[in-house]
Amino acid sequence: MAKPRPVTGIDPSRRMRPNARRILATRIDEVYQYDGLVADPANITQLHDMRIAFKRLRYLLEIFGTAFSGDLDPFLEQVKIMQDLLGDIHDCDVQVPMLEAHLSWLEGQEAVSVERMLSNARRGRQPADETIALERFRSRLDAARRADERPGIHTLIAMRRAQRIVLYNQFTTEWRRLKHERFRQRLETTLGLH
Amino acid sequence: MARAWEVNGLSPDAGFRTAAGRIILTRWREMMSSRDGTLTGGDIEDLHAMRVSSRRLRAAMDAFADVFPASSFRRYLREVKGITDTLGDARDLDVAIEHLTDLIPDLELLDRPGIEGLIDRYEEQRRAEDARIRALFARLDDEGYAEKFEAWVTKHTGITVSRLRPAPPEAN
Repeated sequence: MAKPRPVTGIDPSRRMRPNARRILATRIDEVYQYDGLVADPANITQLHDMRIAFKRLRYLLEIFGTAFSGDLDPFLEQVKIMQDLLGDIHDCDVQVPMLEAHLSWLEGQEAVSVERMLSNARRGRQPADETIALERFRSRLDAARRADERPGIHTLIAMRRAQRIVLYNQFTTEWRRLKHERFRQRLETTLGLH
Repeated sequence: MARAWEVNGLSPDAGFRTAAGRIILTRWREMMSSRDGTLTGGDIEDLHAMRVSSRRLRAAMDAFADVFPASSFRRYLREVKGITDTLGDARDLDVAIEHLTDLIPDLELLDRPGIEGLIDRYEEQRRAEDARIRALFARLDDEGYAEKFEAWVTKHTGITVSRLRPAPPEAN
Protein backbone atom coordinates (compact mmCIF):
# COMPACT_ATOMS: atom_id res chain seq x y z
CA MET A 1 0.00 0.00 0.00
CA ALA A 2 1.32 3.46 -0.91
CA LYS A 3 2.20 5.58 2.12
CA PRO A 4 0.49 8.96 2.39
CA ARG A 5 2.64 11.83 1.18
CA PRO A 6 3.89 14.00 4.08
CA VAL A 7 2.10 17.33 4.47
CA THR A 8 4.37 20.27 5.24
CA GLY A 9 3.56 23.57 6.95
CA ILE A 10 1.03 22.28 9.49
CA ASP A 11 0.83 24.56 12.52
CA PRO A 12 -1.08 22.96 15.44
CA SER A 13 -1.45 26.35 17.16
CA ARG A 14 -3.56 27.69 14.27
CA ARG A 15 -7.21 27.03 13.55
CA MET A 16 -8.41 23.83 11.93
CA ARG A 17 -9.36 25.33 8.54
CA PRO A 18 -5.96 26.49 7.19
CA ASN A 19 -4.32 23.24 8.26
CA ALA A 20 -7.19 21.21 6.81
CA ARG A 21 -6.73 23.00 3.47
CA ARG A 22 -3.07 21.97 3.30
CA ILE A 23 -3.83 18.35 4.17
CA LEU A 24 -6.78 18.06 1.76
CA ALA A 25 -4.85 19.67 -1.11
CA THR A 26 -2.16 17.01 -0.75
CA ARG A 27 -4.66 14.14 -0.54
CA ILE A 28 -6.63 15.37 -3.60
CA ASP A 29 -3.36 15.51 -5.51
CA GLU A 30 -2.61 11.95 -4.41
CA VAL A 31 -5.84 10.66 -5.94
CA TYR A 32 -5.10 12.34 -9.26
CA GLN A 33 -1.53 11.01 -9.47
CA TYR A 34 -3.07 7.68 -10.50
CA ASP A 35 -4.85 9.20 -13.49
CA GLY A 36 -3.38 7.50 -16.55
CA LEU A 37 -1.95 4.60 -14.55
CA VAL A 38 -5.42 3.17 -13.95
CA ALA A 39 -6.20 3.29 -17.66
CA ASP A 40 -4.69 -0.19 -17.83
CA PRO A 41 -6.90 -2.81 -16.14
CA ALA A 42 -3.81 -4.94 -15.47
CA ASN A 43 -2.37 -2.31 -13.10
CA ILE A 44 -3.76 -4.03 -10.01
CA THR A 45 -1.43 -2.29 -7.53
CA GLN A 46 -2.18 1.19 -8.86
CA LEU A 47 -5.93 0.53 -8.78
CA HIS A 48 -5.59 -0.61 -5.18
CA ASP A 49 -3.48 2.43 -4.26
CA MET A 50 -6.00 4.75 -5.87
CA ARG A 51 -8.72 3.15 -3.73
CA ILE A 52 -6.63 3.87 -0.62
CA ALA A 53 -6.10 7.47 -1.81
CA PHE A 54 -9.88 7.89 -2.28
CA LYS A 55 -10.46 6.36 1.16
CA ARG A 56 -8.04 8.78 2.83
CA LEU A 57 -9.69 11.69 1.05
CA ARG A 58 -13.15 10.52 2.10
CA TYR A 59 -12.26 10.23 5.78
CA LEU A 60 -10.56 13.64 5.72
CA LEU A 61 -13.59 15.30 4.13
CA GLU A 62 -15.67 13.77 6.93
CA ILE A 63 -13.20 14.87 9.63
CA PHE A 64 -12.73 18.42 8.40
CA GLY A 65 -16.24 18.95 7.03
CA THR A 66 -17.29 21.25 9.87
CA ALA A 67 -14.44 23.65 9.11
CA PHE A 68 -15.93 24.59 5.71
CA SER A 69 -19.13 26.46 4.95
CA GLY A 70 -19.62 24.82 1.54
CA ASP A 71 -21.69 21.64 1.20
CA LEU A 72 -19.23 18.74 0.95
CA ASP A 73 -21.88 15.98 0.91
CA PRO A 74 -22.13 15.68 -2.92
CA PHE A 75 -18.33 15.35 -3.09
CA LEU A 76 -18.33 12.79 -0.31
CA GLU A 77 -20.95 10.72 -2.11
CA GLN A 78 -18.91 10.74 -5.31
CA VAL A 79 -15.71 9.81 -3.50
CA LYS A 80 -17.55 6.95 -1.79
CA ILE A 81 -18.83 5.66 -5.16
CA MET A 82 -15.27 5.58 -6.50
CA GLN A 83 -13.92 3.96 -3.32
CA ASP A 84 -16.64 1.27 -3.44
CA LEU A 85 -16.08 0.51 -7.12
CA LEU A 86 -12.33 0.23 -6.63
CA GLY A 87 -12.97 -1.84 -3.50
CA ASP A 88 -15.11 -4.32 -5.45
CA ILE A 89 -12.42 -4.55 -8.14
CA HIS A 90 -9.84 -5.20 -5.41
CA ASP A 91 -12.02 -7.95 -3.91
CA CYS A 92 -12.01 -9.73 -7.28
CA ASP A 93 -8.24 -9.23 -7.62
CA VAL A 94 -7.71 -10.78 -4.19
CA GLN A 95 -10.29 -13.56 -4.45
CA VAL A 96 -9.19 -15.09 -7.75
CA PRO A 97 -5.67 -15.99 -6.49
CA MET A 98 -7.22 -17.16 -3.19
CA LEU A 99 -9.56 -19.49 -5.05
CA GLU A 100 -6.69 -20.76 -7.18
CA ALA A 101 -4.75 -21.40 -3.98
CA HIS A 102 -7.77 -23.28 -2.65
CA LEU A 103 -7.67 -25.54 -5.74
CA SER A 104 -4.00 -26.26 -5.02
CA TRP A 105 -4.89 -26.98 -1.39
CA LEU A 106 -7.56 -29.43 -2.55
CA GLU A 107 -4.94 -31.16 -4.69
CA GLY A 108 -2.63 -31.45 -1.68
CA GLN A 109 -5.42 -32.87 0.45
CA GLU A 110 -6.26 -35.26 -2.34
CA ALA A 111 -2.69 -36.55 -2.67
CA VAL A 112 -2.56 -37.31 1.07
CA SER A 113 -5.97 -39.04 1.03
CA VAL A 114 -5.18 -41.14 -2.04
CA GLU A 115 -1.83 -42.20 -0.57
CA ARG A 116 -3.56 -43.20 2.68
CA MET A 117 -6.25 -45.10 0.76
CA LEU A 118 -3.69 -47.02 -1.32
CA SER A 119 -1.71 -47.86 1.75
CA ASN A 120 -4.85 -49.19 3.50
CA ALA A 121 -5.80 -51.13 0.37
CA ARG A 122 -2.39 -52.81 0.25
CA ARG A 123 -2.68 -53.86 3.89
CA GLY A 124 -6.36 -54.95 3.85
CA ARG A 125 -8.00 -58.03 2.37
CA GLN A 126 -9.54 -57.58 -1.07
CA PRO A 127 -12.88 -59.16 -2.11
CA ALA A 128 -12.43 -62.22 -4.25
CA ASP A 129 -14.82 -60.87 -6.87
CA GLU A 130 -12.80 -58.54 -9.09
CA THR A 131 -15.82 -56.42 -10.07
CA ILE A 132 -16.72 -55.79 -6.43
CA ALA A 133 -13.09 -55.06 -5.61
CA LEU A 134 -12.83 -52.58 -8.49
CA GLU A 135 -16.11 -50.89 -7.58
CA ARG A 136 -15.04 -50.52 -3.97
CA PHE A 137 -11.68 -49.12 -5.08
CA ARG A 138 -13.39 -46.59 -7.38
CA SER A 139 -15.77 -45.48 -4.67
CA ARG A 140 -12.94 -44.98 -2.16
CA LEU A 141 -10.84 -43.17 -4.75
CA ASP A 142 -13.70 -40.77 -5.55
CA ALA A 143 -14.16 -40.02 -1.86
CA ALA A 144 -10.42 -39.42 -1.41
CA ARG A 145 -10.07 -37.24 -4.50
CA ARG A 146 -12.62 -34.57 -3.45
CA ALA A 147 -13.12 -34.21 -7.20
CA ASP A 148 -16.67 -33.02 -6.71
CA GLU A 149 -15.40 -29.86 -5.00
CA ARG A 150 -13.56 -28.52 -8.01
CA PRO A 151 -16.31 -27.49 -10.43
CA GLY A 152 -17.81 -25.03 -7.92
CA ILE A 153 -14.45 -23.35 -7.39
CA HIS A 154 -13.83 -23.11 -11.14
CA THR A 155 -17.30 -21.59 -11.55
CA LEU A 156 -16.58 -19.07 -8.81
CA ILE A 157 -13.28 -18.07 -10.43
CA ALA A 158 -15.05 -17.56 -13.76
CA MET A 159 -17.76 -15.48 -12.05
CA ARG A 160 -15.21 -13.24 -10.32
CA ARG A 161 -13.25 -12.71 -13.55
CA ALA A 162 -16.41 -11.72 -15.42
CA GLN A 163 -17.48 -9.46 -12.57
CA ARG A 164 -14.06 -7.78 -12.58
CA ILE A 165 -14.44 -6.80 -16.26
CA VAL A 166 -17.85 -5.25 -15.61
CA LEU A 167 -16.64 -3.38 -12.52
CA TYR A 168 -13.56 -2.04 -14.26
CA ASN A 169 -15.70 -0.70 -17.10
CA GLN A 170 -17.99 0.99 -14.58
CA PHE A 171 -14.96 2.50 -12.87
CA THR A 172 -13.47 3.96 -16.05
CA THR A 173 -16.85 5.40 -17.03
CA GLU A 174 -17.21 7.07 -13.62
CA TRP A 175 -13.63 8.33 -13.62
CA ARG A 176 -14.03 9.87 -17.09
CA ARG A 177 -17.28 11.48 -15.97
CA LEU A 178 -15.62 13.00 -12.89
CA LYS A 179 -12.89 14.52 -15.01
CA HIS A 180 -15.40 15.77 -17.59
CA GLU A 181 -17.47 17.40 -14.84
CA ARG A 182 -14.34 19.04 -13.40
CA PHE A 183 -14.78 17.31 -10.04
CA ARG A 184 -11.35 18.31 -8.79
CA GLN A 185 -11.70 21.99 -9.64
CA ARG A 186 -15.15 22.17 -8.05
CA LEU A 187 -13.97 20.46 -4.87
CA GLU A 188 -10.89 22.66 -4.60
CA THR A 189 -13.02 25.78 -5.08
CA THR A 190 -15.45 24.66 -2.37
CA LEU A 191 -12.52 24.12 0.01
CA GLY A 192 -11.10 27.55 -0.84
CA LEU A 193 -7.92 26.15 -2.34
CA HIS A 194 -7.96 28.57 -5.30
CA MET B 1 -22.39 0.62 8.13
CA ALA B 2 -22.55 2.00 11.69
CA ARG B 3 -23.10 5.74 11.76
CA ALA B 4 -20.21 7.87 12.99
CA TRP B 5 -20.79 9.51 16.38
CA GLU B 6 -21.31 13.27 16.38
CA VAL B 7 -18.30 15.18 17.71
CA ASN B 8 -19.60 17.33 20.57
CA GLY B 9 -18.61 20.99 20.69
CA LEU B 10 -16.73 21.06 17.37
CA SER B 11 -17.13 24.53 15.82
CA PRO B 12 -16.07 25.69 12.33
CA ASP B 13 -13.50 28.00 13.93
CA ALA B 14 -12.06 25.38 16.26
CA GLY B 15 -8.36 25.34 16.94
CA PHE B 16 -6.44 22.49 15.32
CA ARG B 17 -5.29 21.08 18.66
CA THR B 18 -8.66 21.08 20.40
CA ALA B 19 -10.37 19.70 17.27
CA ALA B 20 -7.82 16.86 17.36
CA GLY B 21 -8.75 16.01 20.95
CA ARG B 22 -12.49 16.15 20.34
CA ILE B 23 -12.41 14.08 17.16
CA ILE B 24 -9.87 11.46 18.27
CA LEU B 25 -11.47 10.84 21.67
CA THR B 26 -14.93 10.58 20.07
CA ARG B 27 -13.69 8.06 17.50
CA TRP B 28 -11.84 6.17 20.22
CA ARG B 29 -14.95 5.79 22.38
CA GLU B 30 -17.02 4.97 19.27
CA MET B 31 -14.62 2.12 18.49
CA MET B 32 -14.52 0.81 22.06
CA SER B 33 -18.33 0.78 22.32
CA SER B 34 -18.34 -2.27 20.01
CA ARG B 35 -15.64 -4.11 21.96
CA ASP B 36 -17.89 -6.32 24.09
CA GLY B 37 -20.10 -7.30 21.15
CA THR B 38 -17.02 -8.14 19.11
CA LEU B 39 -15.67 -10.40 21.85
CA THR B 40 -19.03 -12.10 22.40
CA GLY B 41 -19.30 -12.76 18.67
CA GLY B 42 -23.09 -13.08 18.59
CA ASP B 43 -23.54 -10.60 15.74
CA ILE B 44 -20.93 -10.14 13.00
CA GLU B 45 -22.06 -6.50 12.66
CA ASP B 46 -20.45 -5.63 16.01
CA LEU B 47 -17.04 -6.61 14.70
CA HIS B 48 -17.74 -4.74 11.47
CA ALA B 49 -18.75 -1.60 13.38
CA MET B 50 -15.61 -1.80 15.50
CA ARG B 51 -13.42 -2.18 12.44
CA VAL B 52 -15.03 0.76 10.65
CA SER B 53 -14.63 2.92 13.76
CA SER B 54 -10.98 1.88 14.08
CA ARG B 55 -10.41 3.05 10.51
CA ARG B 56 -12.09 6.36 11.25
CA LEU B 57 -9.88 6.68 14.33
CA ARG B 58 -6.74 5.96 12.32
CA ALA B 59 -7.73 8.52 9.70
CA ALA B 60 -8.30 11.12 12.45
CA MET B 61 -4.94 10.31 14.05
CA ASP B 62 -3.19 10.65 10.69
CA ALA B 63 -4.91 13.98 10.05
CA PHE B 64 -3.82 15.40 13.40
CA ALA B 65 -0.41 13.72 13.64
CA ASP B 66 1.38 17.09 14.02
CA VAL B 67 -0.35 17.72 17.34
CA PHE B 68 1.54 14.85 19.00
CA PRO B 69 5.22 14.04 19.57
CA ALA B 70 6.36 11.79 16.73
CA SER B 71 7.68 8.90 18.84
CA SER B 72 4.61 8.39 21.06
CA PHE B 73 2.31 9.03 18.09
CA ARG B 74 3.89 6.17 16.16
CA ARG B 75 3.49 3.84 19.14
CA TYR B 76 -0.20 4.60 19.68
CA LEU B 77 -0.98 4.55 15.97
CA ARG B 78 0.69 1.16 15.65
CA GLU B 79 -1.64 -0.35 18.25
CA VAL B 80 -4.73 1.11 16.58
CA LYS B 81 -3.48 -0.24 13.25
CA GLY B 82 -3.03 -3.64 14.94
CA ILE B 83 -6.68 -3.55 16.02
CA THR B 84 -7.85 -2.67 12.48
CA ASP B 85 -5.72 -5.39 10.91
CA THR B 86 -6.73 -8.11 13.38
CA LEU B 87 -10.41 -7.30 12.97
CA GLY B 88 -9.93 -7.01 9.22
CA ASP B 89 -8.88 -10.62 8.78
CA ALA B 90 -11.95 -11.82 10.70
CA ARG B 91 -14.24 -9.43 8.81
CA ASP B 92 -12.96 -10.61 5.43
CA LEU B 93 -13.85 -14.18 6.40
CA ASP B 94 -17.30 -13.13 7.74
CA VAL B 95 -18.05 -11.41 4.43
CA ALA B 96 -16.78 -14.33 2.37
CA ILE B 97 -18.82 -16.88 4.37
CA GLU B 98 -21.98 -14.77 4.15
CA HIS B 99 -21.52 -14.15 0.44
CA LEU B 100 -20.84 -17.80 -0.41
CA THR B 101 -23.77 -18.97 1.72
CA ASP B 102 -26.09 -16.57 -0.13
CA LEU B 103 -24.71 -17.81 -3.44
CA ILE B 104 -25.43 -21.51 -2.93
CA PRO B 105 -29.18 -21.53 -3.77
CA ASP B 106 -28.42 -19.92 -7.17
CA LEU B 107 -25.74 -22.45 -8.10
CA GLU B 108 -26.04 -25.62 -10.17
CA LEU B 109 -26.06 -28.78 -8.03
CA LEU B 110 -22.71 -29.71 -9.56
CA ASP B 111 -21.11 -26.53 -8.18
CA ARG B 112 -22.42 -26.72 -4.63
CA PRO B 113 -20.03 -29.20 -2.96
CA GLY B 114 -17.04 -27.03 -3.83
CA ILE B 115 -18.58 -23.91 -2.34
CA GLU B 116 -19.75 -25.81 0.74
CA GLY B 117 -16.22 -27.16 1.20
CA LEU B 118 -14.82 -23.65 0.88
CA ILE B 119 -17.29 -22.34 3.48
CA ASP B 120 -16.20 -25.12 5.88
CA ARG B 121 -12.59 -24.12 5.41
CA TYR B 122 -13.30 -20.41 5.95
CA GLU B 123 -15.35 -21.19 9.08
CA GLU B 124 -12.41 -23.11 10.49
CA GLN B 125 -10.09 -20.16 9.77
CA ARG B 126 -12.64 -17.79 11.30
CA ARG B 127 -12.62 -19.72 14.59
CA ALA B 128 -8.85 -19.27 14.72
CA GLU B 129 -9.34 -15.49 14.25
CA ASP B 130 -11.56 -15.37 17.35
CA ALA B 131 -8.65 -16.59 19.42
CA ARG B 132 -6.38 -13.89 17.93
CA ILE B 133 -8.92 -11.17 18.71
CA ARG B 134 -9.34 -12.32 22.32
CA ALA B 135 -5.55 -12.46 22.76
CA LEU B 136 -5.14 -8.93 21.38
CA PHE B 137 -7.72 -7.40 23.72
CA ALA B 138 -6.40 -9.36 26.71
CA ARG B 139 -2.95 -7.89 26.06
CA LEU B 140 -4.31 -4.36 25.65
CA ASP B 141 -6.23 -4.76 28.93
CA ASP B 142 -3.12 -6.01 30.73
CA GLU B 143 -1.18 -2.99 29.49
CA GLY B 144 -3.94 -0.54 30.47
CA TYR B 145 -3.90 0.70 26.88
CA ALA B 146 -7.35 2.37 26.99
CA GLU B 147 -6.50 4.56 29.99
CA LYS B 148 -3.08 5.40 28.60
CA PHE B 149 -4.50 6.32 25.19
CA GLU B 150 -7.08 8.72 26.63
CA ALA B 151 -4.52 10.30 28.99
CA TRP B 152 -2.10 10.76 26.07
CA VAL B 153 -4.71 12.54 23.93
CA THR B 154 -5.74 14.73 26.88
CA LYS B 155 -2.13 15.66 27.63
CA HIS B 156 -1.51 16.99 24.12
CA THR B 157 -4.91 18.53 23.32
CA GLY B 158 -6.38 19.59 26.65
CA ILE B 159 -9.63 17.72 25.93
CA THR B 160 -10.92 15.22 28.48
CA VAL B 161 -13.48 12.46 27.93
CA SER B 162 -15.44 13.59 30.99
CA ARG B 163 -15.93 17.09 29.53
CA LEU B 164 -16.43 15.92 25.95
CA ARG B 165 -18.97 13.21 26.84
CA PRO B 166 -18.92 11.31 23.53
CA ALA B 167 -22.10 9.30 22.95
CA PRO B 168 -23.75 7.26 20.19
CA PRO B 169 -26.13 9.13 17.80
CA GLU B 170 -29.39 8.02 19.43
CA ALA B 171 -28.25 9.25 22.87
CA ASN B 172 -27.45 12.77 21.58
